Amino acid sequence: MTRIFRNYWTRRIAGSIAVLLMVLVLNFFLFRIMPGDPVSTIIDPHFSPQAKMHLRSQFGLDLPLYRQFYLYVKSLVTFNFGHSFLSQKPVWEELKTRIPNTVFLLGTAFLLSAALGTWLGVKAAHKRGGVLEKVVLVAGSISFSFPSFFVQLVLLLVFGWAIPIFPIRGSLSVPPPEGIMALWDFLWHMTLPISSLVLLGFGSWAIYVRNLMIKTLSEDYILLARAKGLPENKVLWGHAFRASLPPIVTMFLLALPGILSGAVITETVFSLHGVGKFLLDSILGHDYPAAGAAFYLLAIITIICNLAADFAYGLVDPRIRLGRKME
Amino acid sequence: MKRLLRRFSFWLLIGFILAGIWGPSLFDMNAETQVASPFSKPLWIGKDSPPAMTFTLTPKTRAAQFQWVYPAPPNIAIWGTVELNKPSSASLVWETPDGDRIEIARNEDLPSFNVDIDGRDMSFKTSLGLSPFDNPMEKLFPSKGKYTLRMSPDDLDIRSGAIHVRIEGARWGLLGTDQRGRDVFHLFLLGIRVSLLVGICATILATLLGVSVGLVAGYAGGMVDTILMRLVDILLAIPGLPILMVLAGIWGKGLWQLIVILSIFSWMGTARTIRSLTLSLRESAFVEGLRALGARPSYIMYRHLLPESLPILLANIALGVPSAILAEAGLSFLGLSDPRIISWGRMLNEAHGFGAFTTGAWWLILPPGVGISLICLVFLDLGRTLEEMADPRLRGGGKR
Amino acid sequence: MIQLRSLSVSYRTPRGTVAALKNINFHIPYGSATAIVGESGSGKSTLLHSIMRLLPPEAMLSGQIIFQETDVTSLDDKALQSFRWRKCSMVLQGAMSSFNPVLTIGRQISEVLVHHLGFLWKEAFEKSEELLKMVGLPKSFLDRFPHELSGGQKQRAAIAMALACKPPCLLADEPTTALDVITQAEIILLLKEITQKNQMTLCMVTHDLPLALSVCDRLAVMHKGEIVEVQTPSGILNNPTHPHTRKLVESIRSIEERGSRT
Repeated sequence: MTRIFRNYWTRRIAGSIAVLLMVLVLNFFLFRIMPGDPVSTIIDPHFSPQAKMHLRSQFGLDLPLYRQFYLYVKSLVTFNFGHSFLSQKPVWEELKTRIPNTVFLLGTAFLLSAALGTWLGVKAAHKRGGVLEKVVLVAGSISFSFPSFFVQLVLLLVFGWAIPIFPIRGSLSVPPPEGIMALWDFLWHMTLPISSLVLLGFGSWAIYVRNLMIKTLSEDYILLARAKGLPENKVLWGHAFRASLPPIVTMFLLALPGILSGAVITETVFSLHGVGKFLLDSILGHDYPAAGAAFYLLAIITIICNLAADFAYGLVDPRIRLGRKME
Repeated sequence: MKRLLRRFSFWLLIGFILAGIWGPSLFDMNAETQVASPFSKPLWIGKDSPPAMTFTLTPKTRAAQFQWVYPAPPNIAIWGTVELNKPSSASLVWETPDGDRIEIARNEDLPSFNVDIDGRDMSFKTSLGLSPFDNPMEKLFPSKGKYTLRMSPDDLDIRSGAIHVRIEGARWGLLGTDQRGRDVFHLFLLGIRVSLLVGICATILATLLGVSVGLVAGYAGGMVDTILMRLVDILLAIPGLPILMVLAGIWGKGLWQLIVILSIFSWMGTARTIRSLTLSLRESAFVEGLRALGARPSYIMYRHLLPESLPILLANIALGVPSAILAEAGLSFLGLSDPRIISWGRMLNEAHGFGAFTTGAWWLILPPGVGISLICLVFLDLGRTLEEMADPRLRGGGKR
Repeated sequence: MIQLRSLSVSYRTPRGTVAALKNINFHIPYGSATAIVGESGSGKSTLLHSIMRLLPPEAMLSGQIIFQETDVTSLDDKALQSFRWRKCSMVLQGAMSSFNPVLTIGRQISEVLVHHLGFLWKEAFEKSEELLKMVGLPKSFLDRFPHELSGGQKQRAAIAMALACKPPCLLADEPTTALDVITQAEIILLLKEITQKNQMTLCMVTHDLPLALSVCDRLAVMHKGEIVEVQTPSGILNNPTHPHTRKLVESIRSIEERGSRT
């Protein structure tokens, strides 16, 4: 790596650390600027006054603010998120079981909608004015203006009530089946949520890729690629798509944090056992340790995704990799 | 301008605004009152579902007759007082097509005949000879045909008064009723106000913020620019809906708090756009001239740079409203908005929470959802039109 | 070598049909270095592009293009793909975007060898090295990306790429326009030298009349979609028959005169 390259990276990582710090500070103060007794955000209000006094010193709430902050950061790093008010269990216990569900939901939906949208976008740009292009434009409008919960409720109406073939709530049946059937049951429950996310998401992908590809396809080197006698498929995918890849990859990873909102809503609509619904339930139930932890987790994921976006962009676009200034 | 007027979405928006402002006044009652039985279907579908029916027995018309060709309705309510000239016994008689005569109210030698019956009352059920768990409607409406309700005896000496009858149907209005029996169409019209209000206010606030930051950052440059842009990066890195949720949950669910929260997290895009515009304009000849003449930076920024950015700004506003509306709808749907305020998101929340899709009550789901989508599409279309109008002017170097 | 018979091309635009070439009848003899000159919009690029059927989808072509006894207009897609680059290759103007920015030079040269001549990638890279040598570029350029090369270097690489399948004919569309004067001279000399050495037919489109006069042995002047004059360089200079040609020649002379006055 050249020195310039490392410089670019140190800047990006320093930036991410700054963001992380900001998030930590935000998280720290957010739950303490509540009207009323700040203690009630940390300690269960149902405890007796003596217990509260005891816990007050235990949590160091009588310590100066900066010491509290230090303790707070320490606890976060060790994944000690305290205990949930609602369930009395350690928050990390609650989160542990939910993280895989959310990751699966978001990961699959995101990958599928990106893949479908990209493919459609490339094809639509290739045959301008065709049926596919019109479909893409309509789907894009839907992506931008239809609220996700609306589409999901409609899907629930159609497939949960009118033609009842899919389950309408939960990540698993109650009681869950054994062994390999459990996996099948899980996938069966995930079909509607994932399909709804893909339906909502592929449109904006397709439009973005279509616009990008239209610009790329008008470049001279594409004309030359055709002149070189290469088959149309190779020109489209090996040259045009390949050249459009850097911004697509960036968009891919920049969009990643955005789908977290989709998780909250989807998990609520379909009552899935995930981190998003956990965040909502905690907020509605004034369960501050749980809410703080869930929010912190989501923020971490966002920061990692942003860093990953920069990293991948550097890999894919040789102009960046070799240390050109980017501003 | 003419281009704008020609677009269908512009007129649709005007229609929405007018409907939102004047629509609810078409209804003479508060939207919160129950008008019919819960989950009533819209009038124009399910023709074999019983509609609502009301009539009144007066001193002149002591009997009412009607045809009933539907299954038993969900409920019936009969109330009113009839003043008699002298105390005597009177009763209300219900006649079914099968020929049954059921006495549903009786007055023993009192000067006024007071009736207050709700089909769900236990006393009513027992007076009909039913147990508390039976459905009195089945007894009252056993078959299809002609029904009569009359005051008896026919020669009752009535001074004044009236008896009102309301048969609650399973159909009501343009869009049916929700789980509380409220008219959905009325709620829909009220929802327009909230969506438009929140969407437009939040976007305007965010634009003001974004423009100020963008102008200052672009024009001042240097350390100020760096700090402001770092702030933008940090805010952009925070996950959107989660932070909105947390803030709404902590701070409060009121309408104005919502608007402020939404604007705090959506000004960044505008700031970036304005900043790059300012950066490019800063080096242009006319700004140099202004500086040479001794103009203060604030003067240059607000009297010259701002008008140059206006077309793009308008387009940005129009495109920003949909995301504000969707965010408000999302928060309402999750339950993080004021429950006393009727908004489309909240309607969907209640539809979801009270099992609209298990009863197949699509009229609770489609209207608010379509409303949100339509308004967003309208603003998107207008935004794109504004962008098109703005672009050739900017590309050509503006009016100068 | 190439015969154009009654060739007409028009473009469908939102504002109606625009005629770019009107009934062209022209031939390019074997082994010649032909230049097509004219001002912008005269249709010279369209003419060149139509030889390899590289026109955009909104173009409508009628007439015949006979290349070594094959009618190019009647070729199906597969035949067209094997015709391109093997029988006739191209060098574009503004080497800025002749190359795909995300692929290496070596990759882009080698792919024609792999596709057309059935090379293995390793062999193709070795051959590409030779091709680069022919145009005076070092082997290290194989792994470079287009943005790392200067304009002149890119144009040389483009020429190397054009020679890969040893085509009998080379088309050049304004090959020197985006370059500085010194590089212009180098590139044009390189082109001349290579086409002569390999007995290739060269057909060049340019709006630079002095360049065309100095390099080519046959000139065609285009004006508003028609070929108005075809002559040798000396013929054009001394005996311009068409009024447009005369105007072109006069404009060069006046520049020369102004130059000689200083």
